[in-house]
Amino acid sequence: MKEDLQLKLQAYLDGELPATECPEVEALLAQDANARALLAELRNTSSALKGYEADLKLSESRDFYWSKIRRAISQPVTGEPVGRLSLGAWLRRILVPAGAFAAITIAVLLALPQPKGSGASFTDVTDSVAFTYHNYDTGATLVWLDYPAENDVATPNTDDTLDL
Amino acid sequence: MAAMDHSAATDDALVQAARTGDMAAFEELIARHRDKIYARAYTMMRNEDEAVDLSQEAWVKGWQRLVQFQGESSFTTWMTRIVINLCLDQLRKRKRQRAESIEEMDEESGGVERQMPVVTVNPTERLERAELRVRIDEALGKLSEAHRTVLILHEFEHMEYKNIAKTMNCSIGTVMSRLFYARRKMASLLQDLKQPE
Repeated sequence: MKEDLQLKLQAYLDGELPATECPEVEALLAQDANARALLAELRNTSSALKGYEADLKLSESRDFYWSKIRRAISQPVTGEPVGRLSLGAWLRRILVPAGAFAAITIAVLLALPQPKGSGASFTDVTDSVAFTYHNYDTGATLVWLDYPAENDVATPNTDDTLDL
Repeated sequence: MAAMDHSAATDDALVQAARTGDMAAFEELIARHRDKIYARAYTMMRNEDEAVDLSQEAWVKGWQRLVQFQGESSFTTWMTRIVINLCLDQLRKRKRQRAESIEEMDEESGGVERQMPVVTVNPTERLERAELRVRIDEALGKLSEAHRTVLILHEFEHMEYKNIAKTMNCSIGTVMSRLFYARRKMASLLQDLKQPE
């Protein structure tokens, strides 16, 4: 018997054969004694297993078995509490994005086509977040990043002036 | 509010209590079902120490995931799925360690089982119930991990082919093939045990 027919026979036994394929298997069973014998063997093995699983029991006492589980589930969840970042984590959170932004800005500015002629120019980039100064004679470029702490100094408001 | 009588409570009530952090309720659930969870781990791993460790790990995971238990199945069925998955993970680790594939192992031996003569005697006849349990367990131990696992999932856990395939991360065709060879091998092993003296 071919393997695919054997597997169909098994699927038929397990109720997993599509209804459209059942007539083929039933016809096979009607005319082939080997198929009937194989089906009987599969069925006997299946029923033997289903009814006779080993009755295993833990040898450890209830308290001993539970103690290890209790220790594991009693441990506090690890990880930093929200709002209590370490200094290193705080610096990484602030400085890494700022550094990345500065690097991208510089790269973009250097990649831009430079105007002909000599002299220097100021460029206000992306809504006052950064300013650049470029000297075409020396090829030097300076970038000012607009940090929040410096806003107060750079653009003092009326109240600040009065306080002074 | 009156204190809960854990030993008299139903599984559902204990699960609800455990969800609120009642460890005593969870301990009662473990006391009731620990043998079944351990037995499933043992039948898959065939090693007592590993089975104890994995069953305990399953209970820890069960506690951590209690909120995910929606009651579509019984609590024991849910816990059994957890321990089965842990056992499969462990078997895969073993596979990686010894470069032996649970997905591929013993597939080639299927040809032998396919050509074996059909066993016509019912293995459950003429053997005492307890004796048969022991014999079946011994025969299961002689199967490859892949064949034993598929047999356990189908015959003991009553899982459909597609669910076994999903659990074992293989195709339905592979499941059918493994199940067929595993049954034939079991029939042969049980037949050997029943040979007249």
